[in-house]
Amino acid sequence: MAVVEFLLGLGVGIGLYLWQQYRFRYRLKRILDSFSPHADLVTSLSDISLVRREITYLHQQQQEIEQERQIWQELVAQAPIGYLRIDEENQLLWCNQEARQLLKIDRWQPGQVRLLLELVRSYELDRLIEQTRQSQQPQVQDWDFYFTQYVSTKPEQITSSKGGTTPYKSQPFAGKVQSVALTGYGFPLPKGQVGIFLLNRQPLVELSQSRDRALADLAHELRTPLTSIALVAENLVGRLENPERRWVEQMLRETNRLSKLVQEWLDLTQLQADPFESLQYQTVDLKELILSVCHILEPLAQKQEVTLFYPDRESVQLQADKSRLTQVFLNLLDNGIKHSPRQSQVLIKVTAPTPDSLLPQEQQKIIIDIIDSGTGFVASDLPHVFERLYRSDRSRTRQTSPSSSSAGGSGLGLAIVQQIVRAHGGSITAQNHPQTGGGWLQVILPVSQTEEF
Amino acid sequence: MTLSSQATHWERTHFERSLRRVQQDVLRMGALVEQSFRLSHQCLFERDLDAAHKIIFLDKQIDQYYRQIELECATLMTLQAPVAQDLRLLSAFMQLVRDLERIGDYAQDLTEMAVKLVKYPPHRCLKEIEAMSNHAQLMLATSLVALADLDASAGEKVKRLDDAVDIAYERLYDTLAYQRDIQGVVEPILLLGLIIRHLERMADHCTNIAQRVSYIVTGHRN
Repeated sequence: MAVVEFLLGLGVGIGLYLWQQYRFRYRLKRILDSFSPHADLVTSLSDISLVRREITYLHQQQQEIEQERQIWQELVAQAPIGYLRIDEENQLLWCNQEARQLLKIDRWQPGQVRLLLELVRSYELDRLIEQTRQSQQPQVQDWDFYFTQYVSTKPEQITSSKGGTTPYKSQPFAGKVQSVALTGYGFPLPKGQVGIFLLNRQPLVELSQSRDRALADLAHELRTPLTSIALVAENLVGRLENPERRWVEQMLRETNRLSKLVQEWLDLTQLQADPFESLQYQTVDLKELILSVCHILEPLAQKQEVTLFYPDRESVQLQADKSRLTQVFLNLLDNGIKHSPRQSQVLIKVTAPTPDSLLPQEQQKIIIDIIDSGTGFVASDLPHVFERLYRSDRSRTRQTSPSSSSAGGSGLGLAIVQQIVRAHGGSITAQNHPQTGGGWLQVILPVSQTEEF
Repeated sequence: MTLSSQATHWERTHFERSLRRVQQDVLRMGALVEQSFRLSHQCLFERDLDAAHKIIFLDKQIDQYYRQIELECATLMTLQAPVAQDLRLLSAFMQLVRDLERIGDYAQDLTEMAVKLVKYPPHRCLKEIEAMSNHAQLMLATSLVALADLDASAGEKVKRLDDAVDIAYERLYDTLAYQRDIQGVVEPILLLGLIIRHLERMADHCTNIAQRVSYIVTGHRN
């Protein structure tokens, strides 16, 4: 009896053991299946060995990924582009070397988490981050980052500024403000984080400034010899007979054109450098001014058989620099006449602000439309028409025909117009008129300059 | 210790989050005021009159932050009843934004004067006034950095810097006031007198900010 009980017990024990074993293997298989669906399960190995092999494999994989991650991190750290990573509470998580240099982040150590605003007092950067987070779209922003020096907390620098009672001039003022032109690219990351790339535009800005300076210097150097060449040519014209006379006459024409170009370039440079200085405001009657310009251009218009059509002649007063504004309309109407076919017209339309307008006077605007009857601008030229020396191919071909070389513009006309209008606090746009298809230039000028100017 | 380390615990309470938000707003407002000051400097010494337009917009934003921060501080103080350093932080913020807002106002005034001043040829004092303005900006930057770092020694440090501005103010005042044989109108001299006065006031407000930072950390007023 005891033997039977023993065997029964043994049987139950073995049964339980086998069932446990089965369950254990089943679980192992499930784990293997779920974690590495692609792994080749060699049936000759025991399940435990398979799991061990799988773990080693995963471990290896993890190390590879970690290595890869370190390489990327190292690359970003050394990248020539600034990179910042901001968490959802605007704290700086990490930034690379270039970003630290660009934004002068000198009070931060890797691993430290601090509010970005504590380290970089840049409102624009803060806005960029906020906009990126809110829109969840990549954002781009250009701005000048200024860095004001401060007196550091480091002990040796405290002593250097100790001479508070010494005369003002002997103080070591390092208070110069440095600035750098930046372009920031914001990218939304998961969990409200934001990644920012920073591009240093400063070399580009400096390059374009030095180019403008060099050209202005060159123009300045060219002016005097050109004037004397023109004088000599003028003298020669009187003393020569044909055919030499004709040659010199052509030389004189070209020289005059060149010196006009040089003069205009210098004007433009001056306007751009010092837009407010170079203007002298007075009260101008726009009607009188436009009529006088029309009068000047009458001969040219008659030659081209183009009428200057100025229908509603309403007297409008505004504050402006009279000679500069005359130049604006000369250039615009001259362009209009040149681009209009024979027996057509150039329309001048002035829209004055309504007298009962509720706006304060300094916010009232005058709109002047100048619409020619030509074929209008080529669509691809429209964004560039106000650039210096920009010419569409069409007028370039016209330029080469000798008969109109003196009438051909310098390529600076619209650039000058734009600078003058901007200096007045106005704006100018170029488009094609939807109905006539002709070139349509719209100038918007403020009625009065804010009394500050 | 830094401003943001004030509230770094794993379990963040509602109060700590609100405090963090106010801190950010104060720093933002500081950045705006710094920008205003810079614009006024450009307007005065680089004759960049565009700055006069930009600053009007900035001033509106500064005012908005001022009101918002003051309100939030008052709400936090009444509803959360903070103690010790948190209380000092909030009460100092309430005072400090007032100083910041004043600096912004003075900056806007400076641009208005700059616009009036462009009509006249540059005065020979202008270089020195420029150095004074640079120095006041350095003081503002130093006190804002001190605020971010919660630097207890800031008050004393900025006070020393302020002495330099006071001395410069006295000397410039004497130069302007005792000038003889002046040709033409007195407006430029009047304006310059007001400008150095404004700069001196701005520097004073910077000192106040730095002293309030010291108060937050130490709890002592000096």
